[in-house]
Amino acid sequence: MFHGLAAQRLVALFVAGWALFNFPLLALWDHDVLVLGMPLFPLALFVIWAVLIAVLAVVMERVTHVEGDERPGPVD
Amino acid sequence: MLSAPLVIGVSFAYLLLLFAVAYWGDARAAAGRSVIGSPWVYALSMAVYCTAWTYFGSVGRAANSGVWFLPIYLGPMLAMVLAWMVVRKMIRIATTYRITSIADFIASRYGKSPTLAGLVTLITVVGIVPYIALQLKGIASGYAVLTSPLGAPAVQTPSWWQDSTLYVALALAGFTMVFGARHLDSTERHEGMVAAIAFESVVKLAAFLAVGLFVSFGLFSSPMALFEQAQAVDELRRLLQFGQGQPFAYAQWLGLTLLAMLSVIFLPRQFQVMVVENVNEQHLRRAVWAFPLYLLLINLFVLPIAIGGLLHFGPGTMNPETFVLSLPLSQGFHLLALFAFVGGLSAATGMVIVEAIAVSTMVCNDLVMPLLLRTRRFGTRASGDLTGLLLLIRRLTILGLLLLGYLYFHLAGEAYALVSIGLISFAAVAQFAPAMLGGMYWKGGTRSGALSGLLLGFAFWVYTLMLPSLAKSGWLDADFLHHGPWGLVWLKPEAFLGLGGLDSLTHSLFWSLLANVGAYVGVSLWRAPSARETSQALLFVDVFHRKAGTRPVFWQGRAKVSALLPLAGRFLGAEQAQRLFEDYAARVGVASIEQIPADAQLVQFVETLLTGAIGSASARVMVASVVEEEALDLDDVMRILDEASQLRAYSHALEEKSQSLERATDELRHANEKLKSLDRLKDDFMSSVTHELRTPLTSIRALSELMRDDDDMDLPQRQQFLGIIVAEAERLSRLVNQVLDMAKIESGHAEWHEATVDMRELVEQAAQSVGGSFREAGVSLALELPARVEPLRADADRITQVVLNLLSNALKYAPRGSGRVVLRLVDQADGVQVEVSDNGPGIPPGQQDMVFEKFRQVSGDDHYRPGGTGLGLPISRQIVEHFGGRMWMRSQPGEGALFGFFLPRSPAG
Repeated sequence: MFHGLAAQRLVALFVAGWALFNFPLLALWDHDVLVLGMPLFPLALFVIWAVLIAVLAVVMERVTHVEGDERPGPVD
Repeated sequence: MLSAPLVIGVSFAYLLLLFAVAYWGDARAAAGRSVIGSPWVYALSMAVYCTAWTYFGSVGRAANSGVWFLPIYLGPMLAMVLAWMVVRKMIRIATTYRITSIADFIASRYGKSPTLAGLVTLITVVGIVPYIALQLKGIASGYAVLTSPLGAPAVQTPSWWQDSTLYVALALAGFTMVFGARHLDSTERHEGMVAAIAFESVVKLAAFLAVGLFVSFGLFSSPMALFEQAQAVDELRRLLQFGQGQPFAYAQWLGLTLLAMLSVIFLPRQFQVMVVENVNEQHLRRAVWAFPLYLLLINLFVLPIAIGGLLHFGPGTMNPETFVLSLPLSQGFHLLALFAFVGGLSAATGMVIVEAIAVSTMVCNDLVMPLLLRTRRFGTRASGDLTGLLLLIRRLTILGLLLLGYLYFHLAGEAYALVSIGLISFAAVAQFAPAMLGGMYWKGGTRSGALSGLLLGFAFWVYTLMLPSLAKSGWLDADFLHHGPWGLVWLKPEAFLGLGGLDSLTHSLFWSLLANVGAYVGVSLWRAPSARETSQALLFVDVFHRKAGTRPVFWQGRAKVSALLPLAGRFLGAEQAQRLFEDYAARVGVASIEQIPADAQLVQFVETLLTGAIGSASARVMVASVVEEEALDLDDVMRILDEASQLRAYSHALEEKSQSLERATDELRHANEKLKSLDRLKDDFMSSVTHELRTPLTSIRALSELMRDDDDMDLPQRQQFLGIIVAEAERLSRLVNQVLDMAKIESGHAEWHEATVDMRELVEQAAQSVGGSFREAGVSLALELPARVEPLRADADRITQVVLNLLSNALKYAPRGSGRVVLRLVDQADGVQVEVSDNGPGIPPGQQDMVFEKFRQVSGDDHYRPGGTGLGLPISRQIVEHFGGRMWMRSQPGEGALFGFFLPRSPAG
């Protein structure tokens, strides 16, 4: 199920997403400033979100055949 | 404010438009030109996740607590990262075994247990009712804001029959019935509905973005200006900060994200659109990123609208949940407000329609049918078409669900914010996660494990979340909240066992999931799975390992086609059943339905068909009632699995054999073609050789005859003829030698005398030996040699032959009198390079490729001097290549030609 390069990339992205959206990496944005006129914390959340979507899109669209687990598995 | 008839009229017109879209979608599907066969439509239909909660509630949440509306959308983002693995497996399982609801999924996995199916359905209904109430509340409060003076409290309706919310509920029930319960489909697919949902997703996004743009750029000059102003107000400034002046509640943040992550997969409506309505697994590939993108877009303006509303109206004067409507209204943009309301209506109706359809399927298949089939009238011994009854049950369920939602709204709706209501529902469906995910990846899960996990999790959900919410609405005595039931403080619902420091939602999620997972794993491990559980576990967990033909069928016994066909007819309609059986007959290769072998495959086929119509548990009961079954034990399961594996191995081997056969055929064909072309080459060679032999022979014979017949020929004439004859004979013997030489080299029989060769010496000697003929022809020969050349291993005679050949070629084509030939020797690190260039006519580009072919002489101009055999260059190249070198030529027509070769110092072979 989780074999294959694309699947491993997705798992890695999932772990990265969890790390970025939780303690302690979230605390990096604990500054009361405006960046480009936007409050830092909400801006950071949206930017991380957008980056995750972009990477996910690249992973999913680039590999034309992520199937992998279609081939017969080990004999049970 | 807007007039009530206008708002109602527009709402109904919009619902009619939706119905038109659905109708069009169904018509296109019937015509075989599906409109939902696109990953974009699939992604948009997944956006049914965004309900009135997103539309109205997020702004309210943002106005109260800043970015805390976001985890509900970050969770789905993370879930979608893994969807390609997890959701695709769910889709594969559901399509393979015709599973049409979450209840059926769980029940089917744990041995087609009716109890489990019923429990899951019950949890769903209880859990989802608040969520439906939320939609009704969203529409009702939106309607109130539009039709009453701005800022005025909504008018309390005196009696229930004047309550507009009731009519909203009834209207939605009617529409849902028309959408989803018009006719029966054994796969529970509703193409028209999906088209309408996708359309609604576009409308709600457009409407919300329109309001967002209006607030950000109309009401305020830019988002920057908006945030600038917010910074000046202390209260708003804090909203935009990280911890809002307090320690950041990481546990709650994580809890919400996890909750949303589970909900986006296990909410009945999400399961419906993502799994049941999926037409092609590959659509998931794009949807997994397009859907989060949709979520990002629809959340982009939540903060600006919330902050803008607070700035505009001042905190506390207006319900933030209605900012989407009240902000445009306050500026007199009535049309925009109406559009925003239609967007909210889209969000709410989309959710209600899909949720109600999904839940009605569950209630009908997994709650009502099993009970009905136990009665004498509809039971296993009865006959008669039940399709009408099935539809009726579903319609009544839809109506009942909406009325329950209305009731909840009436009882508890006013006390709670939209978001809090929604979260209660989320926490309920999250209880399905352990049984579902465990069932998909772990073969050891059992029915009792799933049952106890679900029961315990649900119990904790009721106790720690549902009851407190009712108590807070004033429908229960709130005393047990503060002091625990019967005064037992450690049983306090919101601080169970004294666990404090968590908000009530995270607290409930923690305890319910802990109990759920603990009981599921613990009880599952208590005893080994039964035969039926094992067989279903194998089918689910290994769904990707098998192709359709080689799936094991865990059934043994005796069956009759004449019993199975009427059974299918009862639940699918006689005609439909007849058609499906005819298809099946064609698939197994028999002429008529009567000839279908009544084997395990057929029983499996019928059971799968019925599963689509009445759920796996009921299908099991019904099939068992018309066939003679033998109970399977664990050994049987293993034996059947073994046979299936062998079958798979055989088919795999067969496939490999046929592939290798194909490869062999291909190779043979290639070999044959090669042989043919070699044969053609040989023929060409023979004809060329004979042609070349004939030319000198002809002249020798002609001249000899002349001399024989003419006795009076004078001596000088005779001498001249004899000279020509000798020359032609020499050419002939040279030709024969070369042909022999060529044949020897090509066949590998040539003798090679390898020795250490000094190339400088060799080249000098060759130049000396042809020096005479060069002088005679008036062609200069210049040597460019390095002082010393590292020796190399080669056959000196053969290399000399090559150099002589190149020199005589150059001489042949160099102009008489003014000819200039340069022989250049270059010593390189890995070998020696020899080049011979002339200033002759050169070789036309068209003929350059042919110079190394046998019997080719560059012809067609005045300088053509016959005398060569056309074998010199091919032989030379063979020799050079024998020593691992290569030969080449460069030429510009009119500027001479350059022939060169390279010999490596260590022959490569």
